[in-house]
Amino acid sequence: MRSIESAPVELRDIGHAYGTGELARPVLRDVNLSVGPGEIVLLTGPSGSGKTTLLTLIGALRAVQQGSATVLGQQLAGAGEKQRVALRRRIGFIFQQHNLLGFLSARQNVAMALEMDGRTSERERLERAGAMLESVGIGDRAESMPANLSGGQRQRVAVARALAGNPGLILADEPTAALDKQSGGEVVRLLRELAKRQGVPILLVTHDPRILDIADRIVAMEDGRITATEAGASAAG
Amino acid sequence: MNTITTRAPGAPPPDDHRLLPWAPERTGEHTRPPSWEAPPRERRAPPFQPLRFLALPLRLAWRQLRAEKARLASAIAGVMFACVLVFMQLGFRSALFDSATALIQNMRADVFLMHPLTTASFKPETFPRARASQALALPDVQAAVPVYLAQASWRNPENGSKRAVQLIGFDTEAGVMDFPGLAPLVDTLKRADTVAFDARSRPEFGDMTRLLKERGPFEVQIGNRMMEVTGLIEIGPSFGADGNVVLSEVNFRRLIKERQVSAVDLVAIKLKPGADLEATKRRLAELLPRDVVVLSQAELVKWERDYWEQATPIGFIFAFGSLMGLVVGMVIVYQILFSDISGHLREYATLKAMGYTNFFLSRAVLSAALILAVLGFLPGLGLSWLLYNQVGQATFLPLNMTADRATTVFLLIFAMCGLAGLLAMRKLRDADPADMF
Repeated sequence: MRSIESAPVELRDIGHAYGTGELARPVLRDVNLSVGPGEIVLLTGPSGSGKTTLLTLIGALRAVQQGSATVLGQQLAGAGEKQRVALRRRIGFIFQQHNLLGFLSARQNVAMALEMDGRTSERERLERAGAMLESVGIGDRAESMPANLSGGQRQRVAVARALAGNPGLILADEPTAALDKQSGGEVVRLLRELAKRQGVPILLVTHDPRILDIADRIVAMEDGRITATEAGASAAG
Repeated sequence: MNTITTRAPGAPPPDDHRLLPWAPERTGEHTRPPSWEAPPRERRAPPFQPLRFLALPLRLAWRQLRAEKARLASAIAGVMFACVLVFMQLGFRSALFDSATALIQNMRADVFLMHPLTTASFKPETFPRARASQALALPDVQAAVPVYLAQASWRNPENGSKRAVQLIGFDTEAGVMDFPGLAPLVDTLKRADTVAFDARSRPEFGDMTRLLKERGPFEVQIGNRMMEVTGLIEIGPSFGADGNVVLSEVNFRRLIKERQVSAVDLVAIKLKPGADLEATKRRLAELLPRDVVVLSQAELVKWERDYWEQATPIGFIFAFGSLMGLVVGMVIVYQILFSDISGHLREYATLKAMGYTNFFLSRAVLSAALILAVLGFLPGLGLSWLLYNQVGQATFLPLNMTADRATTVFLLIFAMCGLAGLLAMRKLRDADPADMF
């Protein structure tokens, strides 16, 4: 078992506020959270509880204001733009919308996640992208443009893109929000399965009660604080 | 304990980044625990690859442009429009300056004497004819021919309309000034009341080429006199003159009676073979009074050109026109790039979240601008070439596509698109990945 220091995500006393001076509106207070290797953690809570802000802080999309955040071994408090960009390359993001580039095919979209790695050849990238699409079950639609895919298929492409770069962490923000029940469930279960295989931890923000069963741990937030932590359904198994 | 952060920099990196997600090593059949640590690529920066540095953003830009055909077409049309506008403005400018000096350029002589107050050939100041004789004092001067310039009305032999024509009177026999086509006409021009007409004059003077072929030499009213057109020479219209007529000194005086023989407008000087042009010019300037300047032909052409460039707003007008074309083109390209970015803010923000730098995306935007520059320039060049031919024929202006001008316009268009790209790039800042969730 790894020690707690080597946890992929380690947050201590994180505080965050929007605005400055008298207008400052705190959205996070004294948040302590750690995500272990391979762990799937769901963040739930009402709108405005700060869970999305927390996700952007962990994803190095926002500068840490207060407290200490160590993500994949990188201390984010005081980290510069360059370090944050470098860290983002090691994180797979899945958004509410698929956010695929409409002018690229599914395969090219996935390959975009690999283009930052200067050592792969174009052929390797496309092969790898094709293999990722196979693994999310839409290998036959690799050359389709996003406009010609269903919502569930697009989100699968987004999952493939998030996983293609061998990330050390997956951050997902309501990945099922734009999907119907069945395809939403399929996408998160697929995500879970692939992440477990790669041993990648997932931090997933959701309102969707139908997908709570994929979690190892469920963290509830309210008013910028973590109010409850419970073991997820899958942790028992 | 902390095996990740303390791994020695030289330690061999784990090789599992090459494995597919379902490889046995990853699915649990392998004994090694799953590792979330950074793949080695983050710790060892790949060597700088200039091709990748430029090619990947370029390809992204091209794919994005290509995806929206209508938008691409309008962007190309915008650049093409700017391109044609600049080509036409520069073409007209240069054609006007060229044609403004057409008369002077065709007056082939070694040295010219001119009154220093003469600003342009169509409104000359006269100076004493004696200067021509004085110039002959130098041993290097073979011949000095006084030239009389005047404008008179020409009556179109086809429809009777009148138009001012430039008269150039000089001793056609002396062989000092050699207009193209003049040599075979020297003898006929010795006869009384004969003229040679400039075949490249504007058509409002009548189609003399055809008429001469049909009728042979025939009479045309110039000023108040009937003069016989005996042949054609080639000079070309200029700013000051739509058409040119060359005639002997004597016939010039018959036509323009008020002109005194002693007052000439120009003296053309031919030097002996082997004479030093510069030295002779210096000696002429020392020899002659201050009422003449001594100019080589190139200097005379420049004198004339400078007048049109400086004393008239022509240079400014065409520079302004070119600038407007570039500004309009830039606005169009900027608009296209800007709306491309605005329409893809989410996607750009996603790319940033994935770890693409703002710099990469900036290069993509700039690449798009430069692709548009090239794609717009090529049809613009073709269209301008066609227009040069068409407009050149219609206006009798010497519009020629030169490699120099094509290069200049390409650089201008390239700069225009580049600037538009740099302006549009600022919009990229709005693509904030933190707003993506």
